[in-house]
Amino acid sequence: MSEALLEMESPTTEEANGVTEETSIVNGNGLDAEALERGDLLAHDGVPAALISMRDIWRTYEMGTEKLHALRGVSFDVQRGEYLAIIGPSGSGKSTLMNLIGCLDTPSQGRYWINSKLVSEMEDDELARIRNQEIGFVFQTFNLLARATALHNVELPLIYAGVSAADRHERAQRSLRAVELGDRMTHRPNELSGGQRQRVAIARALVNNPSILLADEPTGALDSKTSIEIMNLFEKLHSEGNTIIVVTHEHDIAARAHRVISIRDGNIESDERIK
Amino acid sequence: MCNQDPGPAVIDATMKFIETLKLALAAIMAHKLRSALTLLGMIIGVAAVVVVVSLIQGFNTYIDEKIANIGAKSYTIGRFSFEDFKDQDTIAAAQRRNKDIDFEDYEFLRTRLTLTDKLGAGARPDTAQVKRGNEVLDGVAVDGVMTIVGDIQKVDVGEGRFFSEAEDASAARVAYIGSDVAEKLFPSSSAVGGEIVIAGLTYRVIGVAAAKGTVFGIPQDTFVTLPLRTFRQNFGPLVRQRSFYIVGTAKDDQHFQDAVDEAKQLMRIRRGLRPGEKDNFGVFTPDAITNLRDSLFGTIFIVAIAVPGIALVVGGIVIMNIMLVSVTERTKEIGIRKALGARRNDILKQFLVEAVVLSAIGGATGTFIAWLLGRIVTAVLIPTYLSVGAVILAVSVSGGIGVIAGLLPAWKAARLDPIEALRAD
Repeated sequence: MSEALLEMESPTTEEANGVTEETSIVNGNGLDAEALERGDLLAHDGVPAALISMRDIWRTYEMGTEKLHALRGVSFDVQRGEYLAIIGPSGSGKSTLMNLIGCLDTPSQGRYWINSKLVSEMEDDELARIRNQEIGFVFQTFNLLARATALHNVELPLIYAGVSAADRHERAQRSLRAVELGDRMTHRPNELSGGQRQRVAIARALVNNPSILLADEPTGALDSKTSIEIMNLFEKLHSEGNTIIVVTHEHDIAARAHRVISIRDGNIESDERIK
Repeated sequence: MCNQDPGPAVIDATMKFIETLKLALAAIMAHKLRSALTLLGMIIGVAAVVVVVSLIQGFNTYIDEKIANIGAKSYTIGRFSFEDFKDQDTIAAAQRRNKDIDFEDYEFLRTRLTLTDKLGAGARPDTAQVKRGNEVLDGVAVDGVMTIVGDIQKVDVGEGRFFSEAEDASAARVAYIGSDVAEKLFPSSSAVGGEIVIAGLTYRVIGVAAAKGTVFGIPQDTFVTLPLRTFRQNFGPLVRQRSFYIVGTAKDDQHFQDAVDEAKQLMRIRRGLRPGEKDNFGVFTPDAITNLRDSLFGTIFIVAIAVPGIALVVGGIVIMNIMLVSVTERTKEIGIRKALGARRNDILKQFLVEAVVLSAIGGATGTFIAWLLGRIVTAVLIPTYLSVGAVILAVSVSGGIGVIAGLLPAWKAARLDPIEALRAD
């Protein structure tokens, strides 16, 4: 965090002006008035202090001559240590929002900061670095490499972070032990149960100490008993100080979170703190 | 990061490369049969090219060893040059234009040459029957040379000695014979000191040459060499088939060509040739053989390498194809890697290294097969030669083909959209 602040301490005047202008529009729309009142929307020079800040995010797909707006000006903040659920029916734009939060995609319009870094303006390789350092993904279908052992799967983000082999093994082992898979390290995904696979994926997501654990329908491919296990694990990780964002269409999964953002037709329908 | 010390950075890069290499090998090993089949074209192509190259190299080495490097580096001036034997027209033209070299030419050169070390002369062989008692040997090449020619050609004496200056000056009836002649006429005893009869005259054998074997199947040991004066006295004037020739060595091998040029110029002066007029004699150097070989076989060699080279191109295309398939099959994997932080470069490298490793394995296998084939060919047919340079070249060319073949698939993989890629099955 301190490194990120240092990076942003002296932005160009142009950038600073741009940011100020943008936020003033946001204020004019009356969005985040509450946050502004709390006085924590802007840290300095117009850069938001929140872990995640989305401002008037649009995502538009061109389908031939027609324009399809998957997101229509979404703005919200997520603070460090929050446990947030994003809920919405299919076609609501929640998957698009998840891809944007996870830096797999860039908005057509609007600004997005993670850790005070303006990621909405970043190039592919910079985004890859953000995904590597700031985001830990947990997917519905686990997305483990079938041919690789649990240990190697967990090591993957560290490989791309340039961590040395010895260091990598140690950190990956620690991460697997944290999800109680210390005895399954050399197993391949097809030798593991669904719940175990998802725990490997969670170990992988956490191994690089990301700022955000981003889960997309994490229990979608699991039976109800295992789902409860995984959700308990999320709760434990949250209590340890991790920021968790779960994207789901299931209300009982969303109910485990402390805050629920409901998406419909590309807009935020509601944003409620439930715990 | 510590910028002053390049050590950790180098180690880091090496580590990363080893990671990528491991990844490539794992991907190749995951589909052993497919990889093997993919490489078949490459293996056949490389093997074919390397076999052809080793045949050519073997042929060239053979010529260099057997012909061009007989004795010391020397030049020969005779009636005809190598080029005169190109076809019937040039032979006929040379026969009209060129005059025999004679002893006066030799004297003219001997008194004027400054860059030549040793100068000698000899006469081309006559074919004759050689007898010893009841033993008869037909078709023996009998020639005559000055004593110094033995020195120039560094004759390899097996037994006895070469004849002396005095023996030449006095036209002594002494003979230096090839090992075949010695074996056939003196099967049970030493030939040295024995007597042989050629055209009714008796000669005393003073030396036997060490066996030379064959060149292109032609035996090199069926000869009798006499002192030049003896030869002229007993066989007749040194013209036509017994044509006279002059042979010389340079004082300094570094300036061999200068010595040759000097001899050539002096001969032109002696013959009174105007500038621009063609030589009416021939100068023959070891380079002439290699030049002739290159002019005769150069084109054939290029074609011989190019045709199997096409197999290499096809092999490269097959590798490109399988890499494209591999990228499509592993779209999901690429998506996962990108989601976890792989940059375009990481993905590009992964697939490129895979293609290169695949290709280089093909190249190495092909080279190994070619080496085996070469050994077999050498053992039963003709000599082949596979240089380390050719091996390195074959493997790096196949690696290079891998780079070219892998570039498009790797680039396709690198620019995949992570969201699309993750959605793939």
